Amino acid sequence: MRNAETGSTVDMELEEENTVQEIIEGAAGYWEKDSGAYVLRKGKRLLRGQQTVLDAGIGNSDDLELIPDPEGG
Amino acid sequence: MSSPHIVGSKDRPIREREPPPKDRRTAHKWLNDKAKEEYLGLEEKGYELYISKLAEEKIRNHASSTSSDRLEVMGLLLGNIFRCNGNEYALVRDVATTDLDSSSVRVRFSRDGMEKLFASLEDAGFNYLIVGWYHSHPGHRCFMSPTDVETQRGLFNKRFHSAVVIDPISKEIEAFYLDGSKVKSRPFAIYWDEFQNPYYGETVRRKRLAGDAQPIKANRR
Repeated sequence: MRNAETGSTVDMELEEENTVQEIIEGAAGYWEKDSGAYVLRKGKRLLRGQQTVLDAGIGNSDDLELIPDPEGG
Repeated sequence: MSSPHIVGSKDRPIREREPPPKDRRTAHKWLNDKAKEEYLGLEEKGYELYISKLAEEKIRNHASSTSSDRLEVMGLLLGNIFRCNGNEYALVRDVATTDLDSSSVRVRFSRDGMEKLFASLEDAGFNYLIVGWYHSHPGHRCFMSPTDVETQRGLFNKRFHSAVVIDPISKEIEAFYLDGSKVKSRPFAIYWDEFQNPYYGETVRRKRLAGDAQPIKANRR
């Protein structure tokens, strides 16, 4: 998985039942980010929080990217 | 079932590269007097943020497109980080945005617009970093609101991350960054690539040449 804000990458070991939310939390925790402020993409597709690895069709060596979801005021 | 766990990591190295030279950069035409002075003060030393003419036009056009309804706009700054003589700087080459949920005092990416945003990231055509974000304050001038500061702290807290705030009604623009817990203004330059029109912000008139036809003068009687 790639952190789009720094270009850093991590390799993650996942199980089919892991959710997208858990993946985001794992990566955001590692990079010391607030997981609630990020979304995860696989190509042009948004991976939704409650989807599992199986539902989302995440396979071995897939590239995922953590994208910031800012709010302005 | 176990939680996802990280089995390896890699940081992206920062490449050495000269920033855009003086003859291919200028101050933004919407800088206020104080910001223009700060810009001039850094001409020799260089800047920590360079925004391409293309990205700047997209930001300005985006902000202006909804200014009559006083709706905020927002997008991500796509670029890279480089180092020169020990100093890091960010080069913004392009921007990415999508449909927005916005009012005159608040803006977010629309939940249904994420795939459109991702399509622009996929089509960026270079190995980008998201080096910050931009948003507009139509008619409210340029500053970092408490929500903006919260966003900057949570998402864009590296030294090289910038928040560009633009007011298309007052015609002002300013960039900010986090220095520890403080928000500071960041002077920046607009740059263009060699093949682009260098006459940013100026009207170009063709010089009259000796062989050109003279304008016809009306006879006065």
